[in-house]
Amino acid sequence: MAQRKINGNKLFMIVLYAVAACSAVPISDLLDRASQRSDTLHSLSTMLTQDLDSHFPPIGRIIMPRPSMCHTSSLQTPNDKEQALQVSESDLMSLARSLLQAWSDPLEVLSTSVKTLPHPAQNSISNKLKELQEHSKSLGDGLNILSGKMGPAAQTISSLPYSGGNDIGQDRISKLTNFHFLLSCFRRDSHKIDSFLKVLRCRAAKLQPEMC
Amino acid sequence: MLRFHRLSGRVSFPGTAGAHVSCHQGSDTKSPSLLFWEPAEESPPPPPAPRHGLRQLITHCQLLPRLCGAMMKKAVEVILLLFLLVSMPHAKGTRHSPPGKPTLTRCRSPEKETFTCWWEPGSDGGLPTTHALYYRKENSETVYECPDYRTAGENSCFFNKNNTSIWVNYNITVVATNTLGSTFSDPMDIDVMYIVKPNPPERLAVTVMEDKSWPFLRVSWEPPHKADTRSGWITLMYEIRVKLEQENKWEMHLAGQQKMFNIFSLRSGGSYLVQVRCKPDHGFWSEWSSTSYIEVPDYFPREKSVWILITVFSAFILVILIWLLHMNSHSLKHCILPPVPGPKIKGFDKQLLKNGKSEEIFSALMVPDFPPTTSSNFEDLLVEYLEVYIPEGQELMLQESKDLHDGCLKSESSTSDSDSGRGSCDSHTLLIDNCGEAKEEERQQDQERMGVEAQRHQKDWEEKGLNYAHEDIVSPDMSSGRVKTWPSVFSPLPQYSSNPPDQQSSLEMAKQHYLSDSLFLPDSSSTYLTQPGHSTRESLEPSYCEFRLSNKQPHQLHPQMQAHQQLHMAHSDVNISSIGCKQAPAGLQSPDLRSTQYVEVQKVNKEDMVLLQPVGKGCRHIELCPQMPQGDNYSKVKGVNSDNILLLQRGVMEEDRCPCEDQEINGAREHSHTASTVTTTQKPTACIHTAMPVQDEMVLAVNGYVDTAIMCTLPTY
Repeated sequence: MAQRKINGNKLFMIVLYAVAACSAVPISDLLDRASQRSDTLHSLSTMLTQDLDSHFPPIGRIIMPRPSMCHTSSLQTPNDKEQALQVSESDLMSLARSLLQAWSDPLEVLSTSVKTLPHPAQNSISNKLKELQEHSKSLGDGLNILSGKMGPAAQTISSLPYSGGNDIGQDRISKLTNFHFLLSCFRRDSHKIDSFLKVLRCRAAKLQPEMC
Repeated sequence: MLRFHRLSGRVSFPGTAGAHVSCHQGSDTKSPSLLFWEPAEESPPPPPAPRHGLRQLITHCQLLPRLCGAMMKKAVEVILLLFLLVSMPHAKGTRHSPPGKPTLTRCRSPEKETFTCWWEPGSDGGLPTTHALYYRKENSETVYECPDYRTAGENSCFFNKNNTSIWVNYNITVVATNTLGSTFSDPMDIDVMYIVKPNPPERLAVTVMEDKSWPFLRVSWEPPHKADTRSGWITLMYEIRVKLEQENKWEMHLAGQQKMFNIFSLRSGGSYLVQVRCKPDHGFWSEWSSTSYIEVPDYFPREKSVWILITVFSAFILVILIWLLHMNSHSLKHCILPPVPGPKIKGFDKQLLKNGKSEEIFSALMVPDFPPTTSSNFEDLLVEYLEVYIPEGQELMLQESKDLHDGCLKSESSTSDSDSGRGSCDSHTLLIDNCGEAKEEERQQDQERMGVEAQRHQKDWEEKGLNYAHEDIVSPDMSSGRVKTWPSVFSPLPQYSSNPPDQQSSLEMAKQHYLSDSLFLPDSSSTYLTQPGHSTRESLEPSYCEFRLSNKQPHQLHPQMQAHQQLHMAHSDVNISSIGCKQAPAGLQSPDLRSTQYVEVQKVNKEDMVLLQPVGKGCRHIELCPQMPQGDNYSKVKGVNSDNILLLQRGVMEEDRCPCEDQEINGAREHSHTASTVTTTQKPTACIHTAMPVQDEMVLAVNGYVDTAIMCTLPTY
């Protein structure tokens, strides 16, 4: 009986250590991974916009809506370094997550509409869009995990609904223009996410000054 | 009446009906005014007081000339001015125009906190033009002007931290203004996040460090001082390039985010140039930093010592190898250059060969007693075969060997030779041939007689022979169509049992029937001697002196030995009795033979009958014993004379040799392997193969081969 108890205790201790060891992935590592993924995300979006630019009608640039018309522009984000450095980590995380969350629907719309896009590089654009969606999804999952470790403030997500509907236009010009506009909005937002995460990474890597 | 419209410049004279003279003046006081005279379009109604009107008119007209004069003067001035103005540009050659369109060339932000824009002015239109940069942020309509035109140099606008916002679209326009006008450039939309190009890294330091006597370069640097990498606002990646001073090609190394890098595999004594640059995570590469020079010291002595060691070791090993080689030179020589076997011919003198005298050499080779005729080594060479060979199926080959010598065994390998390589076992020579020439008649008679008998028993014998053959002969031999060994019973025919018993003392084994190998045909029969009167039929066993062994199986010899034994038994009592009487041809019919008769096997007739012939008749060449003692045991085969006649002798007493019986002994016994050329003779004379002990004296046949007078030898007793 006593023997059993001792064994049980031992087992319990072992399990506890294992759990502790397993869960002891440092936040800095997680942030590092997240920032790498966001880096990739932004690079992909940059490539996409460049591809689109190659065959863009000049008139499209004229009628292109302003960037302030992005559906995520309502979110208050820091506009320069001082402001950004003053934001708390949780808020930064919340901002990043909100932005990422806001783009899941529009990306879906884009990937469905790319088939009808009158563009010579339609195939490569389609592939890149798929990749973009995957990366976005995995980053979202990673950020969810991270935010769980950072407190309740990081968990809040501002809702930024996309109101463009499922249609990106009827005629060729409007299609291309809307596509380009959406992707440029996404490019900016992905850059924001990347910057925020890198700031967070450096803040968490106090022990590794060589990284920052 | 004149109405003087100052402004309009109209002077109208009311007096003059229908004619209005109006003085015009330029509306603009700044510009030279011109007076235009023109009749008024409509005639204003004349004033009612004509007297007054006139008076007024007169006063007016009195004023008018003065005015007109002034106006005239002004007009002239204006004209002059105009003329000057017009002529002036013509004199200069340029034309003033509003400024050309400026263009914004680039905007850059070195650290994501400030940025600068540069523009290219257009033509200035000949007048001093000023440029102004106006910008508008994305969310507001407020137009701002550039806060700083100087910091960044000529034709630039610097936006400091306060004026810089990121993730905000700037709409920037440059206006060029001169006295004639202003021109706006095309607007440019920029976002700070897209225009980041950092400054080059600073404080590049290169040092030579040592790693186990192999030097390497350690390069270290600092990020540009404005870039804030500590807070993570900007993330920089670095790249280094190295090259030797003399070379043209740079070696690039990507260093990631670290600020230190090691470069290995340097050339000793080389002089290197090192540069570094950086790039933000999503931006442009900076310019290369200033070059840093470094010289790598010589580390040649270290290399040298290694080479010295290597040389010493290899020399040492070489010395050892040479020594080993020297010690084993002999065995090596034997290995590499094996000694050439010299000639080992007896009597061969190398010296003679070297001297080159061939005659002497070959004469030396001539051994006087070669081929050996003496019986010195006869024992070894003795192949005791008595071969009766029937050529073309007509020969009888009697063969008996005392001991199956290797010679016999050897012969089987040469079964198909056409040359004389045959042993006496399979020799086709006939004893018959060697036997003396028989008389034709007797032969004929014999033949006839024999033929009858023989033919009758031919088959029996054949059967038996075959039987024996089958027992002994290996099937492959049969398949080859050759029957190697033919044990055949040499026995008197039963018909001849009427022979006197003493005649039956004729050798039983005297005759053995051998069928020639190649000539054996199933239907053809080999003749065989039968001993008439040989009553020991039952003792007739298939006895074969010798049979060809195709596979050298000695066990097959057993029957032979058996036969030998039997022969022993038999021959003492048996005399060869000739079938054919010797005395007379008629005697051929009667099978009785005197025991003392010598029988010669003359030949084998066409019916495969061995013809016997009494010695007396045939032995011409040989001294004959005048008498033939009776009762003697003529079981001995004396030999075969030169006429291929098998001679028998009394074998009881050695000393009782008849001189006639001393005959040439066929040297057949010596070798059984020799093939006889006698086989080719057409007149085979069969020699009786008697189971007589072969005398030691054997003479070679004419051709030196044994075949012709092979005698089956039995161990003497």
